[in-house]
This record gives sequence, structure tokens and C-alpha cells, in this order.
Amino acid sequence: MIDWYFSHIVLIQSTLTTLLLALSVQVPLRAGVFSFAGVGCYGIGGYIAAIGMVHYGLSTATAILLAAVAGGVVAYALGLLIQRLTGLYLAMATVAFTLIISVLVVNGGDLTGGAAGLFGALGMLDTGHLLAVAAVVVAALTFTELGPLGRRVEAVREDPELASAMGINVARYRRATFAVSGVLGGLAGSMTVLLRSTVTPDDINFHLVVLALTIIIVGGSRSWIGALVGTVIFVWMPEMLAFVGEWEDVVYGVLVAAAAVYLPGGVTGAVVDGYRTYRRKRRETADSPPDAPPPQPAAAAVGGDS
Amino acid sequence: MAQHILNAVALGSVYLVFALGMALAWSTIGILNFAHGATFMFSAFTAHVVTQHVALPMPAVVLVAVAAGALIATLTQVLAFGPIMRRATDHRSAELRILIGGIGVAAIPLAIAERVTASAPFGFRGSTYQAQVFEIAGLRMTTTVLVIVVAGIGIGVGVWRWLATSRQGLALRAIGVDSETASLMGVDRSTLALGTMATAGALAGLAGALLTFQLGAIAPASGDQLLIKAFAIVVLGGLGSMGGVIVGAFVLAGAETFVLAMNQGTWVDAVSFGLIFAVLLLRPQGLFGRKEVRRT
Repeated sequence: MIDWYFSHIVLIQSTLTTLLLALSVQVPLRAGVFSFAGVGCYGIGGYIAAIGMVHYGLSTATAILLAAVAGGVVAYALGLLIQRLTGLYLAMATVAFTLIISVLVVNGGDLTGGAAGLFGALGMLDTGHLLAVAAVVVAALTFTELGPLGRRVEAVREDPELASAMGINVARYRRATFAVSGVLGGLAGSMTVLLRSTVTPDDINFHLVVLALTIIIVGGSRSWIGALVGTVIFVWMPEMLAFVGEWEDVVYGVLVAAAAVYLPGGVTGAVVDGYRTYRRKRRETADSPPDAPPPQPAAAAVGGDS
Repeated sequence: MAQHILNAVALGSVYLVFALGMALAWSTIGILNFAHGATFMFSAFTAHVVTQHVALPMPAVVLVAVAAGALIATLTQVLAFGPIMRRATDHRSAELRILIGGIGVAAIPLAIAERVTASAPFGFRGSTYQAQVFEIAGLRMTTTVLVIVVAGIGIGVGVWRWLATSRQGLALRAIGVDSETASLMGVDRSTLALGTMATAGALAGLAGALLTFQLGAIAPASGDQLLIKAFAIVVLGGLGSMGGVIVGAFVLAGAETFVLAMNQGTWVDAVSFGLIFAVLLLRPQGLFGRKEVRRT
């Protein structure tokens, strides 16, 4: 067990940081906001942590905290700026934002190290710290997925007009998802950089956007469990299957396209749906004696959904 | 100065051919094809592989690339976008799933090309074509630039007029406005969608061959960059306006050439990203877009 842990430590750590990155795109998506600003904040966070460590000698914790706060603030400001946009237009505006970050850091001079990037920003991080951060984040997100708050987020996603008719401040929820995704992106970026000790402009590219989206689509976009499943699949698959390592990107492409066509809810969604169908079938066969009255779902729904 | 303008016009013509295909599919059948850049790259790559075995003249190389592009786009439509459109319940989820499906499809040709070329740029060295250099009024011109500009502007104006005046163009625009009403009026949506995707793919293939002839070689990853530039062009011109695409392509090429001429080469990519951002903020319907176009 210990041997296995030490030989896979890089994979374990990158699972946790990639999970945070995926969550930074999933949180807005769950509220119907198609934003990739979290990936841009991943770049901002990574650079802020590296600049803090290399130029100003900050401690690891301070650098990460600063990166998370900066990510949140920048993303919130971006959200204020582009809150009019929806759908594809919002998606492309945030992709443009993400890619502008990489052009900015290329031209950042000594502060960002230009095209070569920054080196020697090795933080004092171990798997325990990563696990703790991921656990706190997941706990907080679980809270937003359950209960009244979860239902409000769902309403904002499924039907913004209805949500706002029921007194939910839709615009506020949308802006909040920007801030949360910025914080998560900042955390993911700073921790990744402090583990690797280097950051270059090439680290912030379109491929990262695709990776984050891929993880969520294949895993499932409705809950952090989906992001975790997707992360585990995409971080561990090349390691587990040698032939996949060789044709890695082809397999990813086929998986993503197939998921988009056949599994709109991702792996998690399919499992949940399958389980529900199974439960319903079992219940139908169990409590439908020939002369029983038909069940009355309408009454149950009124009672249970107040 | 005049040389820079000529360069901008040549670059703009390639952008135009590429962006026209994307705009055509997006504004009519509602498919924003994220595999358009990969189609562009893989068509040029197919022609590259063919020229390694057979020494072809320029028109034949272009034809191979065009055919490859049309084939890839048709396959994408049949295998990914068509099934998504049949299965999706509402427009918004279809849009999202088409975007994601396109990203997935795009990864496949990119991975194959990167593996075969080891991510190195590829060109048409096996072709028999040799660019002739000549000077007109002190301007250095090549036959390649001439072909590109004539093809770009010809196809740009051709597609624009065809969409505006022909019966099929009318049917396509009808789908773009209201696909349900259009199909009640006897428009065969899925056949037209297939034809539009094939045309868009052929345009991507043409752009791929032209750009490779112009630059000598292109890298497998160049498709993604071009995709974002094309998006900037369509957004700037206004979705649904082919004339806007023509203007947008030359504006973007002009702005990029200007930045390059000012010796600010590292900022070139920021032009298109900044343009997307600025247009969406200040004038979301673009320069020539209709006000009532839905933005969701």
C-alpha cells in the first residue's frame, strides 16, 4: 500500500488538482452558466503563486490564499462585465478571456518570465494538504447541491424566467458562480504550479479548456461526484491501459463525442438513471397485485415538494 | 506599406474561406462546428500524405484537400451532429452537446496527424507546383497569393450572393430563422444540413490547401487557433450576415498585419481574442447582424 502510494504520488496529486479545475467549470455549468473563466483563473492563480514565491518570497499558504482570492475577484469582475451574454456567446467570451491571459503573461517581462515562464516556485505541499483542500471544497459544494439551495440552483439552470418569477435573484446566482469558479480555478492553478515548481504561458491553452469540459461531460455535470469520476477516468486511464497511452487523444476524442451523443448526463447520470429505472421496475412488480388501485403520484408530489 | 496591405489581403482571403464555412453552418442549420479547425488541418494533412506518394500539380492537391474536407464534415454530421439533433429535447441542450461533440470529434484527426508527423509542420513538398515570383509596381507577388486572393474573394462573394438569391439559399435561411416552420413549408432539413456541412467542410479543406501553399507548411495544432479567429470574424461581422463575414475577415487580417508590422508579434493572438471580447460587450449583434437575432 505504502509502495503503491509512493509510486503513484504524482497521479494522486494531479487527480486532486485536476478535480478542482474541473469543478471550477462545473459549478457555473450547474447553474446554466456556460463559462470557462475558471480555466483563465487557473492561469492567473498559477502565475500569482509563482510570482509570489519567486519574486516576493511568500509562504506556500499565503501564495495559495492570494491566488484563490485573486481568481475569485477577477472572475467576479468578469462576470459583472459579461453578465448580459448567455449560451455560446458567453462560452466564447470566457474562452477569449482565458487565452488573453496566456498572451498577457508572454508579454509580462521579468515579472512573468515571458515565454520561458517562471521556475523554482516549489511550495511546501503534500498530499494531505491537497486532500484537505479538496475535502473542504467538496463539502461546500455538496451543501449547494442539496436542499433548498440545490433546488434554487437547479431552477436557475433549467428555467431562469420561472426562477426569477419565484423570487430567485437569477443574476446574483450567476455572478456568484463566476466568483466560486474563480476561487476554485485559482486554487487549482496555484497548487499545480507549486507542486511542479514551474509555470509557462503554454500551460494555459485551449487544450486545458477542452480537458476540463471533457472531464465533466464524460463524468457527469450535475454533481461533484461526476467531476470526480471524470477526473479519475482521464488522469488514470493512460496509466492503467498501455494501449490507451499510445492512442490517448484518439480515445479521449471518441469518448467525448460518444458521451455528447449518447450520455448527456455523463457516466454518473447514466448510473443514476439506470438505478432509478431499476428501482421503479422493482417497486412496480412488488406492489401491483391485480386489484390494487393505481398509485397517485400527483398527491405525493404536492406533499413532498413544498 | 503597400506590401503590408497585400499581405493582409492574402491572409484575409484565407480567413474568409475558412470563416465562411463556419458561418454558413452556424447561421443556417445552427451548428457551431468546433471540429471545423480540425477539418481544415486534416484536409491539408491528407493532401500532404497524398503528395508524398504522387507528384501532383496544384489544382489536384487543392482538389484532394477539398474532397477530404467535405468527407470529414459529412462524417461528422452523420456520426455526431445528426444523432445529437435527433435526440436533443430542446435547442439549448442541443447547442451545448453539438459544441462538446465537435470538441470530441476535433481531437481525433488532431491526434492522428500529431502522431504521424510527430507534431512537426507539414507541407506539399511532393507537389509539382513552384510559385512564380513577379513584381507589379514595386510589389512582390507570387502566383500563390494571386490564386488565394482570387479564390477567396470569388468564393466569398459567390456564397454571399448564392445564399441571398438562390432557392436553396432561401431554404437555408428559412431554417436559420425558424426550422419548424421551414420544414412545414417543405424544406428538407436533414438533407440540407448534410449538404451544408459538406460545403462547409469543402471550404475548410480549400482554406487548408491554400494556407499551406502560402506558408509552405502548417502545424497540426494550427486548426484550433484558426477556429477562434473564425469565431472572432463571425461575431464581428454579425451572425447571419455573409457580407459581415467578408468584412470581418479582412478587418481581422488587417489588424493582425498591422500589429505584426509594428513589431509586436507576441501580441498578434490577442487581436482576435480582444476583438471577440470587445464586440460581444459593445455590440453583441456584430457590425451587420440583425438586432432580433437570438443570443441564447
